[in-house]
Amino acid sequence: MIGKGPWSEATKATSFAEREFQVCVAARLVENGKCYWVAGGGGPMYSVLLAKRLYAPDVIYVAEDGVVGAEPMLPFDPVMTLAAARPSHRAVMWTNMNGIGDQCGVGYLDYGVLNALQIDPYGNINSTWLGSYPVEGRRVNGPGGADTIAAMCRRLVLMTDHQRRKFVPKVDFISSPGYLDGTPGARKRAGLPADTGPYAVVTNWAVLDFDPQSHQMRLRAVAPFVSVEAVIKEMGFKPLLFGGAGDIEVLDPPTEDELRIFRSEMDTRGQFTDTASHWVVWENERWTMVEKEVVSTGVFV
Amino acid sequence: MDGKALRILAEGEGSYLKVDPDGFRSHTAQKDRRMRSKLMTAAEAIQRYVADGDYVVWEINYLQRGPAALLREIIRQQKRRLWVGGKFTWVAVALLVEAGCCDRADMGFFVGGGAVTRAVLEKRLTIYEYSNLVMTARLRAGAMGVTFIPIRSLGGTDGFKYSGAKLIEDPYTGEPTVIVPALNPDVALIHVHQADEYGNARAFGTNISDIEAALASRKVIISAEEIINTEEFRHKPGLTRIPYYVVDAVVHQPFGAYPGEMPGSYASDTAHVIEVFGAVARDRIKAYLDKWVYSVANEEQLLSQLVGMTKMAELRRRASSVSLEAYRA
Repeated sequence: MIGKGPWSEATKATSFAEREFQVCVAARLVENGKCYWVAGGGGPMYSVLLAKRLYAPDVIYVAEDGVVGAEPMLPFDPVMTLAAARPSHRAVMWTNMNGIGDQCGVGYLDYGVLNALQIDPYGNINSTWLGSYPVEGRRVNGPGGADTIAAMCRRLVLMTDHQRRKFVPKVDFISSPGYLDGTPGARKRAGLPADTGPYAVVTNWAVLDFDPQSHQMRLRAVAPFVSVEAVIKEMGFKPLLFGGAGDIEVLDPPTEDELRIFRSEMDTRGQFTDTASHWVVWENERWTMVEKEVVSTGVFV
Repeated sequence: MDGKALRILAEGEGSYLKVDPDGFRSHTAQKDRRMRSKLMTAAEAIQRYVADGDYVVWEINYLQRGPAALLREIIRQQKRRLWVGGKFTWVAVALLVEAGCCDRADMGFFVGGGAVTRAVLEKRLTIYEYSNLVMTARLRAGAMGVTFIPIRSLGGTDGFKYSGAKLIEDPYTGEPTVIVPALNPDVALIHVHQADEYGNARAFGTNISDIEAALASRKVIISAEEIINTEEFRHKPGLTRIPYYVVDAVVHQPFGAYPGEMPGSYASDTAHVIEVFGAVARDRIKAYLDKWVYSVANEEQLLSQLVGMTKMAELRRRASSVSLEAYRA
């Protein structure tokens, strides 16, 4: 679903963090000429900004605090990635939250990009509570604007770490809607706009999408440094596989250009990629994943 | 029934603030339309206009143009049993909960941490589940004087079950449609760049829903970086965001958004923002409140004793320059 592009011909990087790879892959998915609604800083905003620099010059994005079409002053201060001066720099418009909601309601906001804490086979997202609501477990932040983004943008791109605890058969709490129970018309019956829903999931290891009939998540592509088996093993449910054997695409690694821009303009202190991210290096004609103290060689399985 | 009753397909079980637009109109009937000075200190404003048990809304505190000083004053005065509207709030809910000020919250977004989890598990805090835009839609309905508003989100989520939302058969299309109750809070706390002594107010840059909140709330407390002459409002009336007669109190509060930023006026104190974020995340809110809220009697002492002139001058120099120029032309 990503296929070949300018990144296929460019000089490949030989050393990168998994999360850098994730942002680069999400950037390649960005569709030029469309309007994105991004949820704050981190992967979603970085991938759209990176795409705008390299692959999608006519992409525009909005944020829920009313910023439309900013040319942000990078890099951002820590945690000040939304509702702050630098992210709202050189916007074409400053409106408010209802103003952005209106734009989404009438259909101008084509794509939403969100981080997901916990996700199920139908793309439902939990960002409210981990455990048994509300009697055991842990409160998390709440949906914020994500519920509206997931409900009303035409296509939803989700980003999350490739871990079993993130991909669960059933989320503890549906904070933001995917395809709900997956049955035809489930979103419409819940009052959500037509022709909307999850489109892709981008992790540090893989790209998944959703089967048009069953609305179940299916594997489309894997990183060059992991096997299909490893990707499936690290999920709490078994995703569908796209096409037949051999149809799972192998993604291109980050390019030197992608990393130059990402590291010098966005993740300048490594604050985004240094946490929960392994390092991947190309040596002796193979990818090696460096896992903290442990070094494993070859395809990581 | 004659078969023409509105069909309710599903409804949430969450409590919601009583919907009563005519009651709200009775309240606005009593508000003074005369131009009279409403200047007072933050302590006076909170004392007079925030009662225990009130429903309170505010903008993004501690990030950008939030009423941080007014919220700290609520904590100093130990207000109790507040019901808060968490439309894109940040650390404030956790601070209010740990300070014992708040027992109900409509969410939204907030930085939670251990204090909020503990309060929920110990049943000291009840959370009703919405989202940022659903909360701003509820305020919009409150500002329109209507009783509910249809939205095209929240449906199908678990949040719906713990909210005051209903899924109805839309009487115009026959399609399932979510409606949420209008919100008319008791108190809106709003920090702005400029106000006059009567309450006319200008705020620059983006916002969440301060205009809706000002119209929808019974008591409106404005804190302002700068008090300016009413003539300036008459000279550029297009910049006025809130008209004076909805406002109950005007507080002159330089650095009232500290440690957050004020677009065009000063930058955020990044170290402090990280400190409070860390305090919430690592469950050390009490120590944070001791240091930054309880240790001083008021906001002026906070600025002079804890922040200091050097830091304030630095934050002013680091202000985003483009923001205010656009309005001063």
